Amino acid sequence: MAAKPGSTKPSGKDSNKSKPLSSASKVSKKAAKRPPPKEVKSKARTEASQLKKKKKREYTEEELDLPKLNAITPVGVVKPKGKKKGKVFVDDQEGMATILAMVNAEKEGQIESKLQKARQLEEIREAKRKEAEARQAQKKNKLEETKAAIRQKRKRKGDSNEDTKTDTTATQPNGSSSKSKGKRKSVSFA
Amino acid sequence: MRQLTEQETKTLFEKLANYTGRSLNNLITTSDDPNDRYVFRLHGNRVYYMKLSLANLSTAIPRANLLSLGTCIGKFTKSGQFRLHITALDVIAPHARYKVWIKQNGEMPFLYGGNVVKAHVNRWSDDCPEHAGVVVFNSNDTPLGFGVTARSSAEARKLEPTAITVFRQGDIGEYLREEDTLFTT
Repeated sequence: MAAKPGSTKPSGKDSNKSKPLSSASKVSKKAAKRPPPKEVKSKARTEASQLKKKKKREYTEEELDLPKLNAITPVGVVKPKGKKKGKVFVDDQEGMATILAMVNAEKEGQIESKLQKARQLEEIREAKRKEAEARQAQKKNKLEETKAAIRQKRKRKGDSNEDTKTDTTATQPNGSSSKSKGKRKSVSFA
Repeated sequence: MRQLTEQETKTLFEKLANYTGRSLNNLITTSDDPNDRYVFRLHGNRVYYMKLSLANLSTAIPRANLLSLGTCIGKFTKSGQFRLHITALDVIAPHARYKVWIKQNGEMPFLYGGNVVKAHVNRWSDDCPEHAGVVVFNSNDTPLGFGVTARSSAEARKLEPTAITVFRQGDIGEYLREEDTLFTT
């Protein structure tokens, strides 16, 4: 590591030193009409200098400010440095007590909500049952009413029927007998 | 034999809290000696409940040679759930949140591994919700096992006598039925 900067610095100085020389020669060469060598020189210079510059400066990942999704390790996985590997045990009483308290609170909440839900469902069920009962009672009432109505009707009809029946019975025998008799008489003419 | 991790402790307590109320705290706090409290230890996939002094003594025994220590509470399944064993009954019974007392004619069917039917129920804890953990006692208040309620206590009143009210999870008949596998690791 220590040798690198030492080695790079003199080379940079060399290039600096060579520059004025070349420029000085350029002037003389321009006068001699030689433009192409210029390009060759610049290429060589860029190659060497670029390589050296890259070695000089090394960017850390933080400095580069790369988007996190481009990193090798996935975003969710963060490996803590300098932390103990393996399982974390809970052996002190306080730790167990806190976990227990958390669990207890959670369980009680669950049970409470369960009870509440059951109560609500029970209420709904009760309401439905009452409604169904009321409906059934209504139906029964209606049935009774119609029954009663029919009975009354029949009674009334029966009364009237009886009157008519008596009339008919009173009248019929005569009429029917007379008719039948007449018929018979007519039929049994032989 | 090692201590439980945070996640394991949570899973274990969640299961225990199904059956017990707030007094579960007494499990880890009560001890005669302040330096000697009760702890949970994992050996293989089984969890044992014991005094700390006993756990410390156990370090002298090679892991392969150690079969069992303290009271076995249950075991962790491969998927990370916790399964209570019947050996945990003595630990959870004094702290039970909901209890069911069964009649004498219901004891044998339960101890042979059957669920509790309504006709066999003598008494219930009040206001017991559906699917809650219960400890089953006989009429002399001896714990017989534990289970999960099939119906809430209000609903169970309307059931017919042959309907199941408690699904069995563990009963002391297992000491005989599962004799071969109960204590093997």
